[in-house]
Amino acid sequence: MLHAIQEEFGYIPREAEPVIAEALNLSRAEVHGVITFYHDFRREPAGRHVLKICRAEACQSMGSEANAHRLLERLGLDWGGTTADGRITIEAVYCLGLCATAPSALLDGEPVGRLDAASLESLAMEAA
Amino acid sequence: MGLIQEIDYGTKPANAETLVSLTIDGVAVSVPEGTSVMRAAMEIGTQIPKLCASDMLDSFGSCRLCLVEIEGRAGTPASCTTLVAEGMVVHTQNERLGRIRKGVMELYISDHPLDCLTCSANGDCELQDMAGAVGLRDVRYGYAGDNHLDAAKDVSNPYFRFDPAKCIVCSRCVRACEEVQGTFALTIAGRGFDSKVSPGMEENFFDSECVSCGACVQACPTATLMETSVIEIGQPEHSAVTTCAYCGVGCSFKAEMRGEQVVRMVPYKDGKANHGHSCVKGRFAWGYATHRDRITKPMIRAKITDPWHEVSWDEAIAHTASEFKHIQAKYGRSSVGGITSSRCTNEETYLVQKLVRAGFGNNNVDTCARVCHSPTGYGLSQTFGTSAGTQDFDSVEQADVMLLIGANPTDGHPVFASRMKKRLREGAKLIVIDPRRIDLVRTPHVEAEYHLPIRPGTNVAILSAIAHVIVTENLIDADYIRERCDADAFAHWAEFVSQERNSPEALAATTGVDPELVRKAARLYATGGNGAIYYGLGITEHSQGTTAVMALANLAMATGNIGRVGVGVNPLRGQNNVQGSCDMGSFPHEYTGYRHVGTENVRESFEIDWGIKLDPEPGLRIPNMLDAAIDGTFMGLYIQGEDIAQSDPDIKHITAGLSAMECVVVQDLFLNETAQFAHVFLPGSTFLEKNGTFTNAERRIQRVRKVMTPKNGYEDWEITQLISNAVGFPMNYAHPSEIMDEVARLTPTFANVSFDLLDRVGSVQWPCNEAAPEGTPIMHIDHFVRGQGRFFVTEYVPTDEKTGPRYPLLLTTGRILSQYNVGAQTRRTENSAWHKEDLLEIHPHDAEQRGVTDGSWVKVASRSGEIALHAKVTERVAPGVVYTTFHHPMTMANIVTTDYSDWATNCPEYKVTAVQVSPSNGPTDAQRDYAELGRRTRQIEVAAAE
Amino acid sequence: MKIFVPRDMAAVAVGADRVAAAIEAEARARNIPVSIVRNGSRGLFWLEPLVEVTTASGRIGYGPLSEADVPSLFEQRFFDGAPHPKCLGHVDKIPFLARQARFTFGRAGVIDPLSLDDYRHHGGFKGLESALSLGGVGIIAAVKESGLRGRGGAGFPTGIKWETVARTPASQKYIVCNADEGDSGTFADRLIMEADPFMLIEGMTIAGIGVGATKGYIYLRSEYPFAIRMMQQAIGIARHAGYLGASIDGSGAAFDIEVRVGAGAYVCGEETSLLDSLEGKRGQVRAKPPLPAIRGLFGRPTVINNTITLASVSFIMAEGAKAYAEIGYGRSRGTMPVQLAGNVKFGGLFECAFGVTLGELVNDIGGGTHSGRPVRAVQAGGPLGAYFPPALFDTPYDYEAFAKKDGLIGHGGLVVFDDTVDMAKMARFAMKFCAIESCGKCTPCRIGAVRGTETFDKIIAGIEPERNLALVRDLCETMKFGSLCALGGFTPYPVLSALDHFPEDFATPPLRHAAE
Repeated sequence: MLHAIQEEFGYIPREAEPVIAEALNLSRAEVHGVITFYHDFRREPAGRHVLKICRAEACQSMGSEANAHRLLERLGLDWGGTTADGRITIEAVYCLGLCATAPSALLDGEPVGRLDAASLESLAMEAA
Repeated sequence: MGLIQEIDYGTKPANAETLVSLTIDGVAVSVPEGTSVMRAAMEIGTQIPKLCASDMLDSFGSCRLCLVEIEGRAGTPASCTTLVAEGMVVHTQNERLGRIRKGVMELYISDHPLDCLTCSANGDCELQDMAGAVGLRDVRYGYAGDNHLDAAKDVSNPYFRFDPAKCIVCSRCVRACEEVQGTFALTIAGRGFDSKVSPGMEENFFDSECVSCGACVQACPTATLMETSVIEIGQPEHSAVTTCAYCGVGCSFKAEMRGEQVVRMVPYKDGKANHGHSCVKGRFAWGYATHRDRITKPMIRAKITDPWHEVSWDEAIAHTASEFKHIQAKYGRSSVGGITSSRCTNEETYLVQKLVRAGFGNNNVDTCARVCHSPTGYGLSQTFGTSAGTQDFDSVEQADVMLLIGANPTDGHPVFASRMKKRLREGAKLIVIDPRRIDLVRTPHVEAEYHLPIRPGTNVAILSAIAHVIVTENLIDADYIRERCDADAFAHWAEFVSQERNSPEALAATTGVDPELVRKAARLYATGGNGAIYYGLGITEHSQGTTAVMALANLAMATGNIGRVGVGVNPLRGQNNVQGSCDMGSFPHEYTGYRHVGTENVRESFEIDWGIKLDPEPGLRIPNMLDAAIDGTFMGLYIQGEDIAQSDPDIKHITAGLSAMECVVVQDLFLNETAQFAHVFLPGSTFLEKNGTFTNAERRIQRVRKVMTPKNGYEDWEITQLISNAVGFPMNYAHPSEIMDEVARLTPTFANVSFDLLDRVGSVQWPCNEAAPEGTPIMHIDHFVRGQGRFFVTEYVPTDEKTGPRYPLLLTTGRILSQYNVGAQTRRTENSAWHKEDLLEIHPHDAEQRGVTDGSWVKVASRSGEIALHAKVTERVAPGVVYTTFHHPMTMANIVTTDYSDWATNCPEYKVTAVQVSPSNGPTDAQRDYAELGRRTRQIEVAAAE
Repeated sequence: MKIFVPRDMAAVAVGADRVAAAIEAEARARNIPVSIVRNGSRGLFWLEPLVEVTTASGRIGYGPLSEADVPSLFEQRFFDGAPHPKCLGHVDKIPFLARQARFTFGRAGVIDPLSLDDYRHHGGFKGLESALSLGGVGIIAAVKESGLRGRGGAGFPTGIKWETVARTPASQKYIVCNADEGDSGTFADRLIMEADPFMLIEGMTIAGIGVGATKGYIYLRSEYPFAIRMMQQAIGIARHAGYLGASIDGSGAAFDIEVRVGAGAYVCGEETSLLDSLEGKRGQVRAKPPLPAIRGLFGRPTVINNTITLASVSFIMAEGAKAYAEIGYGRSRGTMPVQLAGNVKFGGLFECAFGVTLGELVNDIGGGTHSGRPVRAVQAGGPLGAYFPPALFDTPYDYEAFAKKDGLIGHGGLVVFDDTVDMAKMARFAMKFCAIESCGKCTPCRIGAVRGTETFDKIIAGIEPERNLALVRDLCETMKFGSLCALGGFTPYPVLSALDHFPEDFATPPLRHAAE
């Protein structure tokens, strides 16, 4: 249900929480506790594109951290941030199961592997 | 007298009969199977360090302080979540365990303020205790790391503060809200280090779903959730166990004191009615005891239009006695009477009726139970033989189906409601019969199987329809009926309910309920296992109140649901001592224990004990007293702790009656509404200022203990004694225990009751006598008290109060959680923050038709009168039904209610009034006049220097 | 003619979809009739996209391909198995594959994952047939006999777990597949679900028959969108064909499966928090007992097993418990899908019997680092697993042998690091990861991981290194013995192994820092 709402709105609006609670006969508190527990659920809208960069060990062994930091610096963002024009959000993800084709990332749900600093940057910059 | 310290065993007790033997630190111990290692250790006095564990809650295993070593098992299991096993060898303390605990404590303290000296929990902080217990000496991480020390305080709740900087995220508050209270208002938001306690959606407590029951405050091991009173006053130094003076649940509390100042009221875990739980009223709303409105000096006046002037106790008592004697001399012996109160103790009630019967020499005594549960007494005594509910509260734990009718426990009896909800979450089924969609119809984790939204006033019809289904579908318990009930009466009843005119289909037009729903509900009650009926004033306060009580008794007998745990017919009593005041002989026709004044040998026993001849004729009921006053034959009334001018129906009639009397004596804490018509005001004492007993809805007699000197100078029973002595009937009790001894001496069902027994065992449920020396939790086990259970034919007779073109809506009344009854107490506490005024609930459809919007003024008019109040547009009420509370005198809700009443007991029909609702600009003239009257009649002359 | 282009997420991540599109376009342009089969991956990820064609002598592979290779492939008539610079010859004979004992992954990459015919043709549902004839008692006996242990990490004997559930009376029981494969360096579950989903369905169904459960849930992490789609489609196909539903394969026994998607919480791989998450709650760890086998999902007896475990059951029931138990090492019977990942030359899935040494896996089979630099460390068993230095490469791959070296096999992942790795940073990351993923219930994990990260920051900054290293070791003891679940309890493994085996990285921090 929460996934479906996020799918629909891109995030879970605060106003939705009492509605969900009523529908499931839960308290508002419980719904809020669940939503805030899971990192997938956004409380605010994301950018038009979402780039999830893997930060787990296998990708780190292939230099992912340096690549990611370069990109973040270029965009002037921190993890979880969205560019001022609302174009793209950069999020961390811990393992996509693409550990033998590391470093990897997910752009709007599409997987990309064997990234290097340049290809990661073009991936992020070219998403329009 | 020190502070009562309750042992926290860390986990709940196990109920198994099998014992398991184990060794803890070399000491052998045997405990029931299913006990935790932590509790087993506590049984032999070994306190394993703990923070997240509490014996009020399910074990959780999060704080990691209670780790132990168990021989033959890997690692260091938590003793709270590990259950004992035969032959287990446990070590609770060694070097490694000590190191781990210290390591955990070091982490806790690295994110905790170091302000112990100025902390409100200083001296009562489990974190502080545990830091000491594990020997923490150093926090090597320093205090510069990530922390929560700047988290903002939440002071939105008037009774407690939430200081998240001090939170250790043990989740005890969250769990208490879920497991004990069942509201689920709290959660942990976020996760990991960001985890934090969140009321609702990270709202403040006041705006969240919190009902301020205090369970979270009680559960908190630190100063994170702390009573405002403790923050302001400091830690208490002595305490006494007493009984709450609010509703009929009868919760036990520890009154925790500093000197004569109440620091806080803490629910007492050994309290058998509440098992350590509480609600916003009992837990927090005791501030009225010291409210500035409280009157502490006696006052008299010649006319009710005069200002009051303060007098000495001697003068007030002498004046009262002389007035009454004068009236009796002039108008006859029967021209005076008294009204007892369900708020006063058993002993005080007993003395008032004794004063009337022996001192005044007539039986003109009645009680406020007249207006609430008199049909219960009569209905259940006729069918079963006892004027009381059949079960203890604990019985609900074994109920499989609950039939709830005419009661709203989450508001009226919140502590019991929490127990119902717990059982419902465990899988029991619920049937709600109520015109309103009360909370229990659907509230987090609880959903009624069936809600039958009847039209107000059709209880008897719907119960007949249910009986029809049970009998015609052969869902009766024939063996039970054959063994236990009067066969002829059953046959007669079965024939009656089987008639087609009593089928759900035939009655659908009357009740407004889908017949299929009625059939399903009937089948569920009859066949769903243990069926328990719970009901309230929505059953009794009708012209057929007694009939409805009998109809419930019929259902229980027909399905064999009487006489064991988990079943029964259970009235949820309104006030703290409704049961007790009835037991104590407050009715004009009955002595203690419901024995008729006309019964020769009973009366004789009283005559011998009291040394005076007694009147064998029943006296006047409250409505008759008022009628007689208007007729000029009843002129003096002594009213103890009762406010008939607000609580009783058809206020115009009441006030006319009161105004006609020559001497009205009101004994109360405040200048209540009735006091406007009084000539003598005797200041009363609060439950904190007296000794005595209350009897709750489960017939449980519990001690009330004095924790402060009466501000007015006397406990209420002493005032009654003074009057009695002054009118010439000597009373000479030194202590209320002597009054109870007299009650026990004169009342077979109380034969074994004494203050000594209560002090020893905590509480007992009557009957308590030779046959049941420590009381009777469940009644009618082998046979009914009256012998055979008796079915009564319950013909539905519609009330004369009918809707029509002029009054198309049905008004029904009730109460809400934060206010109590006429509000005299709760309105003088911070509880008013939740409910500042009475509102009229109206369905959006009806509101739309009338151009009424949410929050606007509306006029409610009935055949009796009209009032104005603000509207609340809500779907909780069905179309055609409107609802209000009667907690605020200015609303004058009872101007609108009629003078119709129960055919058997005169219990007024509060629950059904035909009304019309229309938009309004503000209060009615009557309300304005009344406010003005209140101002005038409450004037007190400044006392001249003595 | 059939051309196999993997639809596996990793293959797609490196361009398989583009290659497939290019082949289709090229074939159309050249008017050559081809049928493109989107198979799963063989798990030879360094060769992806790996395109295969069928020839009389078997399947010939080409890879790793990009769309730029496609015209030349057609030029060279690759569809006939003709030579090409990217030609790998017979796929079965690629040493990485040829050396494996593919019990559980035999069909991976071979078949169209959504073709029931393919599945049946390659031995699918043989296990189910045998299970239906054996019945519950027989199934559990066979699983016990096989020696199968939970492949999720804990290594608990599967048969015993099932027996407990079977013997606990209840009106409803559940099978829960833990497909929350969150360990870095692992992708075996993903590969099963994307390459051979019916095998998991079959395994869960067998478990259901075994213990008397009629409902199964697959808890699948949201990071695996391809596996989610694949499992949902496969369940739909299986249900339509009568392999799931009121009467499985006409047997009268009922079983059905639902996919539930996680929402980004590593801790939900822990079985009790997974159950809470499945119930729609916060994925907080529950204290045990009660065991899930007795009071699991919605308070009912529940088998909760890892994907590989359940999938392995299909093989065991099809080929017999003996065939499985015969191979292995010590108490570790059967095969383990070792996943070679990170900075490794031949990254992929290698299913083999237990007992092969760590060194063989990394150097011999994995071919050393991808970067070509020396191997410095291998993290075995995911983010909670220990870092092994080459000095310990003689350790046999076996639950007990790894435990003896203060390590764990976990879910079978191996992440290889070359000599550029900074182990102080990796130790800090282990703490940081615990802090990010902590459910927040127990104190050692909730606060300890944060303090651990901060203390490593001090160590890296050269602040009182000795005192702070001692503090970290104390913290590790508190976390190891004090934590409620493996997240906090096992975080000390990577931390302590980094401290013990790579002390030089913690020694002279200011210098090291300056050198960067």
